[in-house]
Amino acid sequence: MEMNWIEILNFPFMRHALVAILFAGTAFPLIGVFIISLNLIPLRFAMMHIALLGGAIGLFFKVDPLLLGLLCCILSSMALGPLSEKMKLGVGILSGYFMTLTLALAFILIYKADIHVLEAFTILWGNILSLTILDLIIIGLISLMVLAKVFLFFKEIQAILYDREIAMGVGLPEKGFYYMIIFMLGLTIAVSMRMIGALLIDAFVLLPAMAATLISRSLKQTFFFSSLFGLLSGLAGLILSFFLDIPTSSMIILVASSIIAGCFLFKRLLPHEEKLS
Amino acid sequence: MHHSVELRDVHVRFGTIRILSGVSIEAKPCEFISIVGANGTGKTTLLKVINGTLRPFHGRVSVLGYDLSRYRSLNFLRREIGIVPQRSNSIQFPLRVEEAVLMGRYGKIGLVHRPKKEDWNKAFEIMEAVGIKPFCKKLVHELSGGEQQKVALARALAQEPLILLLDEPTTYLDHSAQSEIMEVIHTLHHQRELTTVMVSHDAQLVDQYSDKIYLLREGRSSLIKSN
Repeated sequence: MEMNWIEILNFPFMRHALVAILFAGTAFPLIGVFIISLNLIPLRFAMMHIALLGGAIGLFFKVDPLLLGLLCCILSSMALGPLSEKMKLGVGILSGYFMTLTLALAFILIYKADIHVLEAFTILWGNILSLTILDLIIIGLISLMVLAKVFLFFKEIQAILYDREIAMGVGLPEKGFYYMIIFMLGLTIAVSMRMIGALLIDAFVLLPAMAATLISRSLKQTFFFSSLFGLLSGLAGLILSFFLDIPTSSMIILVASSIIAGCFLFKRLLPHEEKLS
Repeated sequence: MHHSVELRDVHVRFGTIRILSGVSIEAKPCEFISIVGANGTGKTTLLKVINGTLRPFHGRVSVLGYDLSRYRSLNFLRREIGIVPQRSNSIQFPLRVEEAVLMGRYGKIGLVHRPKKEDWNKAFEIMEAVGIKPFCKKLVHELSGGEQQKVALARALAQEPLILLLDEPTTYLDHSAQSEIMEVIHTLHHQRELTTVMVSHDAQLVDQYSDKIYLLREGRSSLIKSN
C-alpha cells in the first residue's frame, strides 16, 4: 500500500511520536551541550544504571518499573551535586561509584526476586512509538523547562560552561546553577529513557550537540544547531523508519550520525575564517 | 580608613597538610602588593582565601572592611574583586574575546538580565586599554598565551573591581610578553586606583611595581619590602 508522509499521521502512535520529537528534539540536545562542556558523560551512564535499579525495585515491589526508574533518576540528580561538593569529589568520580553500586544492587534484587532479567532491562530499551498522552505531557513540560532555563539564564550558563571558577569569581551563584544543570540532566535522561531507551539516549541528547560543537563559533550557535539537528534527525528518522521498515530509534541514530559526519566534512573543507563567523 | 585587604594569623590546611600557618598581610587602598615565594608555598591558596573561595580554619580575613567569616555567601564581595588566574582556560569553547571580557560584568548585571549597551561599551573600553580590541571577534582558544592572559586581565577589569588579584599572570609567557603585560597591569592599577595583590615566584619581576613585597616561606609570611 502506497502512503505519503502526511497519511502516516493518521496513526495515533505516529502523532504521539511526532509531538515527542518536536519537543525533545528541540530541547534535549541542549542538555547534550552541558554534558560535553562540563564533561559529564560518566553522570549520563550513572543515570542509566540508577534507572535500572529503579526498574528492579519497581519489579520487586510490583510497582510500575518505569515510574520508579524516573523517580530514582530525579532523586539522585538532586543529590549528586551537593554530595560531590560535600565529599570533595568530582561529579564524574561520584558517578562511577553510583554506576557500579546501583548495578550491583539491581542484580541482587533481580536475583532475589527471581525476576526475568529481560523484564528488568525493558527500562533500557524504551519505545518512541508507544508513548501515552501522559508521557507527552511530561516530555513537553520538561522540554519547556529546559528551553526556558537556557533562554533566561543564558549568560550564567555560558560562564559556568566556560569555566566554573571564573563564573564564581565574577560573583555569580555558580554552585546553584551547576546543581540546576545536573538536575536538568538527570530529568532529561530519565525521560529520554522512557521515550527512546537508555541505550539510545545519545540520539537525542548527545549526537546533535556533538555535531553542533563541530561547526559553531559561539555558544548561541551551539545551542541553535543542537536543537536544529535534534529536530531534523528526529523527524527524518521517524519518517524514514516508517517507509523503510527499520526500528525508529536506530533510524534516528543513523540520521544523527550522518549529520555529525556532514558537520565534520564541513569543518574540514571550509577555510577557517569562512566558518559561520 | 580600613585596609582593602587584611589577613591576620591565617591558617589553612587540606586534610592533615598545613598550607598556611600564620600568614598576616595587609594592603591599603590603591596599594600594589606582591607576595613572592617558591612553587607550592601556598601563594594561590592565599588568593583563594582573599576572594573567599577557601575559608581558613584559624585567623581573620577582612576584605574592603568585611569580615569574611561573618558571611555565608560572598558573591556580593566577589563582584568587587577581579581575579586573573595563572593560566587562562584554553579548552576549545566557542567564546569570542568580546564575550569573554563581557563575562566580567555578569555578576553586576544581575540574574536573568541581559547585558546592556553600557556593559558592552565598558567591555570595549577595557579591550582598547589592554590592547585586545583588534581581535575581539576571535575565539579565545585561538589566541597566543600572552593574548589569552590579556583577555583574562580585561575580563577582571571589566568587572570594575576595587581589588585586583593576580595569580602569576606572566608565568607561561616569554620575557617580552611578561614585560608588556606587567606594564599594562601597572598602568591600569594607577589609572583605576585599584588595590592590587599579585603573587609571583619571581621577586625581580615584581620589585619595580610593588609598594610592598611579602615573602611566603614554609606557610608563613614576612614583609621584605615596604615603600
